[in-house]
Amino acid sequence: MSSTPVFAAPSESSVESRPPLLFALPKGRIAEESLALLEKAGLTGPLDTNSRKLVLANTDNSIGFVMAKPWDVPTYVEYGAADVGICGLDVLRESGRRVHEPLRLPFGHCRLSVAGPKDRPDTPLRYASQPRIATKYPRLAQEFFRKRGVNAEVIGLSGSVELGPVLGLADLIVDIVETGSTLRANGLVEIRTILDVQAVLIINRAAYQLKSEQIQGIIERIRAVI
Amino acid sequence: MQGQIPFGVADYFWEEALQRQELIANLLATFRAWGYGDVTPPAFEYAASLTAQASASLQAEMYRFLDRDGSTLALRPEFTTPIARLAGTRLHDWPMPQRFCYGGSVFRYVDPQAGRQREFWQAGVELIGAPSPDADAEVLALTAEAMKVAGLTDYRIVLGQIRYFGGLLAALELTPEQADSLRWAIERKSEPALADFLRETPLRTGQRQAVEALPGLSGGDIQQVIDQAESHCLNTEMHRALVNLRGVVDALSGYGVLGSVVLDLTEIRSLGYYTGISFEALAPESGFSIGSGGRYDDLVGHFGPAQPAVGVALGVERLLLARQRQSGQFASLQPTPPHALVISHQNPAALAQVQRWRAEGYRLQMEVNGREMADILVYAKQAGIAQVLVWEDDRFSAFRRQSDGSFESTSGEISFDE
Repeated sequence: MSSTPVFAAPSESSVESRPPLLFALPKGRIAEESLALLEKAGLTGPLDTNSRKLVLANTDNSIGFVMAKPWDVPTYVEYGAADVGICGLDVLRESGRRVHEPLRLPFGHCRLSVAGPKDRPDTPLRYASQPRIATKYPRLAQEFFRKRGVNAEVIGLSGSVELGPVLGLADLIVDIVETGSTLRANGLVEIRTILDVQAVLIINRAAYQLKSEQIQGIIERIRAVI
Repeated sequence: MQGQIPFGVADYFWEEALQRQELIANLLATFRAWGYGDVTPPAFEYAASLTAQASASLQAEMYRFLDRDGSTLALRPEFTTPIARLAGTRLHDWPMPQRFCYGGSVFRYVDPQAGRQREFWQAGVELIGAPSPDADAEVLALTAEAMKVAGLTDYRIVLGQIRYFGGLLAALELTPEQADSLRWAIERKSEPALADFLRETPLRTGQRQAVEALPGLSGGDIQQVIDQAESHCLNTEMHRALVNLRGVVDALSGYGVLGSVVLDLTEIRSLGYYTGISFEALAPESGFSIGSGGRYDDLVGHFGPAQPAVGVALGVERLLLARQRQSGQFASLQPTPPHALVISHQNPAALAQVQRWRAEGYRLQMEVNGREMADILVYAKQAGIAQVLVWEDDRFSAFRRQSDGSFESTSGEISFDE
């Protein structure tokens, strides 16, 4: 402590300009609806999401917004790098992150389902001794099968999971289903729903207590418009 | 593998190690000033002792291994259980209450997060044999004191009382599944999950109102929260929880730390371990709790005569991280240089003088490589040493580092930079 710090602390100005509350929003699928909801709740005006700035602020600089990869939102919020976030319930449950989740939001509706080839014999999933499951959700997939006493071989993929059964990589898939058209196009049918998904508002556990006034304000304003 | 270390552990050295040791020393000095006595439990012991009351998740995080005789051992994942074992099995006839403090590393098989590796450090206290709200308040006040000693300027303690929720669960007469879904909804502060519970669970009006009131039972206005909770008591257990809380708050007000305390009756993590108050210490800019504690009246009884107990464990890494973020002062990632490098020629008078300076608290390093003066000055410059003392003609002469990095001979009394 006695010697001079080598790593500079954030300078005064950058500390001052950082809004007191940080909101992590997911890029992509539910970004538009998230922003529309926040505007409707009066939390922000239109944000220029194409801006190169990493942190966008609302007009009175009381809330900053960061656009993050959807899968990173629960991480930002659990660590307190962002105080509040919006993400899909699928992403939140798969991440296993410990956050508060006061509200579900009226968009991003879909299902996380088990699907398989349409000519698959019509037998219960628990009859298979070691099914191979291709998925972007290894944790939820493993949990679903383990609960049924099945030790599934879960094969983690990062996209185009439907290819798994087509190419013979996997017997089944666990993936997000919205309309089912992607499944049909690949000769797959939905077998069982694992999780009904929609967008969810998440809050860092410490911020929930330390910034409770602002955060309760945000919750109330969003609750009023959903 | 040579030279590598396993995932989840770290070497701490130089200033980072110094800060850690100093923090633990300061915390222990504070605990001792409050009358707590040191205890150092073993780093590993029988797994069965350590799992006496551990939650499923903590049990899953324990490092277990076999002793040569086949018994299962585990590295300590926390200090409370070993201390409860010690008090229960060996110190049960010593007058109560007994106070213990500790600082050391614990081991958990978890993904490293928020300054925490798989080996991380805790400092804390246990107060055994005192059931009173005064004992709860002492541990809370000591937690607040420890935050200040650790250099935190801004912190909050979120206080809960598990018996209020426990009493409510009993009063609702739920099935285990219903109780789980209520607990889950409250833990995650999830309004839709609570709405689902209320829709799916048949409840009488008073019961329903008590559940609906739960999410509102938190805030900094402690009296108001307690009064509100009082109006929804369904049995004596819930009422007793609030009587205890009022006692704790009364006792705390004298310590002058109530301003940092937030009451939250929905803080119900570790249900089944804590039996009274439970609390977490939080700091802004740090998303994780930096310490937690509470009352655990059922633990000591696993090892001997039952004793009420209350304690707190603070995360040393998280305290350091929170302090860095609040002060902007980061560890220098350099060794702390000595005040001077000394060339004594092993002269007894020179060595005696060096010993006197050391006793005054100055850090003095001896030249032991027998180098030429020019080489010594190069070394002193590289190592960040500000002064070189040379013994000649029965006295020390000093060479001080100048702003350009060169060393100049200086005259007059020897002095050291603070």
